[in-house]
Amino acid sequence: MSMSYREIIRNGLWGNNQALVALLGLCPLLAVSNTLINGLGLGLATMLVLVLSNGTISFIRHWVRQEVRLPIFVLVIASFVTAVELAMNAWFHDLHKILGIFIPLIVTNCTIVGRAEAFASRNPVPQSMVDGLSMGAGFTLVLMTLGGLREFIGQGTILSGIHLMFGEASKVMTFSFGDDFHGLILAILPPGAFFGLGLLIALKQVIDKRSARRAIVSKTDATTTTAAAER
Amino acid sequence: MIRQYKDILHSAAILGIFGILGATLVSLTWTATAERIALNQQQAFLRNVYKLIKHDEIDNELLQDVITIRSPALSKNEVQVYRARRQGEPVAVVFSPVQSPGYAAPIRLMVAVRADGSLAGVRVLSHLETPGLGDKIDESRSDWILGFEGKSLENPPIAKWKVKKDGGVFDQFTGATITPRNIVATVKKTLEYFEKEKERLFKQPAESPDEPPFH
Amino acid sequence: MEFPVHTSPYGQLPNNVTRLMAQVLLALVPGIIALVYYFGWGVLINIGIAVATALAAEAGVLHLRKRPIAPALMDLSAVVTAVLLAIALPPLLPWWMTVLGVLFAIVMVKHLYGGLGYNPFNPAMAAYVLLLVSFPLSMTRWLPPEMLNQNPLDFLQSLVVIFGGQLPDNLTWDAITSATPLDEMRTQLEMHKTISELSQNPIWGDFGARGWEWIGNWFLIGGLFLLWRKVISWHIPVSMIAGLLISAGIFWAIDPESMPSPAFHLFSGGLILGAFFIATDPVTASTTPRGRIIYGFLIGVIIYIIRTWGGYPDAVAFAVLLMNMAAPTIDYYTRPRVFGARDDGHD
Repeated sequence: MSMSYREIIRNGLWGNNQALVALLGLCPLLAVSNTLINGLGLGLATMLVLVLSNGTISFIRHWVRQEVRLPIFVLVIASFVTAVELAMNAWFHDLHKILGIFIPLIVTNCTIVGRAEAFASRNPVPQSMVDGLSMGAGFTLVLMTLGGLREFIGQGTILSGIHLMFGEASKVMTFSFGDDFHGLILAILPPGAFFGLGLLIALKQVIDKRSARRAIVSKTDATTTTAAAER
Repeated sequence: MIRQYKDILHSAAILGIFGILGATLVSLTWTATAERIALNQQQAFLRNVYKLIKHDEIDNELLQDVITIRSPALSKNEVQVYRARRQGEPVAVVFSPVQSPGYAAPIRLMVAVRADGSLAGVRVLSHLETPGLGDKIDESRSDWILGFEGKSLENPPIAKWKVKKDGGVFDQFTGATITPRNIVATVKKTLEYFEKEKERLFKQPAESPDEPPFH
Repeated sequence: MEFPVHTSPYGQLPNNVTRLMAQVLLALVPGIIALVYYFGWGVLINIGIAVATALAAEAGVLHLRKRPIAPALMDLSAVVTAVLLAIALPPLLPWWMTVLGVLFAIVMVKHLYGGLGYNPFNPAMAAYVLLLVSFPLSMTRWLPPEMLNQNPLDFLQSLVVIFGGQLPDNLTWDAITSATPLDEMRTQLEMHKTISELSQNPIWGDFGARGWEWIGNWFLIGGLFLLWRKVISWHIPVSMIAGLLISAGIFWAIDPESMPSPAFHLFSGGLILGAFFIATDPVTASTTPRGRIIYGFLIGVIIYIIRTWGGYPDAVAFAVLLMNMAAPTIDYYTRPRVFGARDDGHD
């Protein structure tokens, strides 16, 4: 039943994207996606926890009894989250201050316990870690897209606060419309996150439907032409 | 029966082991990062202070030279007063956090007053003002808050410590007068408090707080 | 196999919708005339922009959804949404904000939820909130009413301001705009002035602010017309006004110097307009008689709470949206019992 890496990666980034398809982890997703950099910061933290917890849980999957598996998953995840939080506070202090409560809240992100239960506890370590990586990357990409969109519409900048992650020198990469642009403030407020996510989900549906239709058309093309000829 | 007990014991043991492993991981990380985190917090606070008072104006350990005051005019809670000195002579004090009433919730301010009674500057530490209206008090949104630098109770005269709409000299924002008006009033009260208590503020021996509060 | 799903009210034919909407528009006329009289041409220009945008947006979305366009445009519902939004907007709002608001109302709030009859939220109010939250500065820039206005703008000047953002040469925004009475009251009270002190100001009239206090009455005429024509029922307007008056009355009785009187609340902001024209929207309001009373009453209470302690000065839009959300639940618990059903719920 083990899947190919290709399949795992495809699932994480698109087919079973945790934010757009499974709709998991909405609380941090909606709360922190007000700028691209905030999204990236929380996304990377989530991804790191996912890889570590998936790896660990897969590694111990033969020793853990069914009855106590969930408490153990939670223990493992909580330990990693706390460690990641402390590390962020030490090395990315300013970003940590902005992301605040949402880093410890990664514990409650259903994606993580979901992947532990659905994947890591039944698959070998390497696959599980790749699954963590690709699920985390898919989540991060959505966070960044949503963050970038909201930041652009809401305050007319892109990559604002980049120095929080990459140092003062990277400040030149911030793009801004200038101070006269006031933006659609709603976009950086919580409702903007819901509208943004809704539109992203709709966009994904449109793309999926298009590609499905194209697949059908190319398959049925041959049959319809023969049918028409017979008539 | 016996088998059941064995299962329970087995599960408990596994849970216990993971508990211990998790705690170990967390405590190891904590030991590795605690010092750095404390340092970060101090630096974040000092960076804010140094925006108001130049680093080379001071030669004392600002974070050690602190007293706690209580004054209903400045805040419902305790206010920390950090004393900046050079060769033992008073340079300035930093009040933090001073609370000003806001439109929605109290606004927390850092107010730095020089020994001569003029303002080294004011910064907003946290606020919940309406986005797009009252949030212009934030340094990242507009330069308004920078306008306090150099002001004192003589400049402008005390009667002019108001927003322009009320006949004073300070700008208000169109559509949001309450926020700037309250901040101006609070800063004025802080200056008055300083004027009255100047002596004591610099002389009172420093406390040694177990854990310096940073904001 | 797909079954058509209808929400209440049942038994409405399309031409009935048209008749209904036409009567609503007719009922709005006295209020609109009053608004134009007190606040100038900007009101009419806003209505024009909003209606044009609404019709274009409606046609565009229907085309995308592959639905017939003409009948939906003829039912006038988009026009009603546009007019209700436009008269809630400040008279000199930049044109693109009005356009943005109407697009949001028609495309996002109405059609993304399924179109006429399916939208859970009142489109005009959702758009109003979008604009208020996004452009708080422009949205709180009202004009002083006619008798206090030193610099009234003529039609051409209003057009230039709305479309070009250019004020006439000798004027500034601060000179021609003023806060709404609710805004002003809130600001003064925050300064710890007492009501008797601040009522000295010439902007205040007999029970509300001069000019403003009369607009409600004109909308009231339209509202009574709707009641008479049975376009709306009495439940929502009456209970909504009662909800506000009772809340305001309690606090006013306790502290008349720092709590504005019920009369002030009644004739300020969008209360009358909201009670007769907005909260009564048949699609988004509660549909049972008992439900309507609860729905309207709670809107009134929420308006009072937000006006007094909230972050924005007026609250009709917020209160209506909040109760829109509660309407299905209210309906569920207030459904009239079916004849013959047993008390224990088994039938």
